Amino acid sequence: MAVAAADHVRPSGLTCLICAAAWALPGGGHLWLGRRRKGLIFLVTLPLMFVCGLWLEGRLFPFEPSQPLVALAAFADIGIGIPYFIAKALNEGAGRAIAATFEYGNAFLIVAGLLNMLVVLDAFDVAQGRK
Amino acid sequence: MTTHLGAMTLFALFVSIVFATLMRDEPREQWQLGLRLFGGLVGGGILAGWLLYPLPL
Repeated sequence: MAVAAADHVRPSGLTCLICAAAWALPGGGHLWLGRRRKGLIFLVTLPLMFVCGLWLEGRLFPFEPSQPLVALAAFADIGIGIPYFIAKALNEGAGRAIAATFEYGNAFLIVAGLLNMLVVLDAFDVAQGRK
Repeated sequence: MTTHLGAMTLFALFVSIVFATLMRDEPREQWQLGLRLFGGLVGGGILAGWLLYPLPL
């Protein structure tokens, strides 16, 4: 089994490209690696979770080094990849702090980004032949 | 869906789907883990809510 997995180890440059694709488009890395079913599930679920966060009036946090927690939230938000930039371009994610669902929206946006980072790590493992 | 319970259930659904897909390869095992995670998250949330209920806030 380990020998079979080692046969599928990819060059590091290609692995970096796969990870970049996995970050930019949720599930993109798995689709590239031929894991269509998993890739499609991530491709639907993660952007949908991100959109739900926007719908619940969550905020896409700005990078503010003077406020470490806000900067960390911004780092997590950007983990979702292209959907983050689309939302920014459409002026979404301003957040409405007085909305009852504001904190839920933040949780959806942050966790969607963090889950996509886990998906990127999984794609990295697959590309390295570990899975 | 914008109630506390609705948002929590939706959140649990998304998290369960992603973790089950990540951690298992076979569809049957993914379903089993996903349902367990979903039940644990929703049940745990409701339980924590009731445990916090008597606290004065």
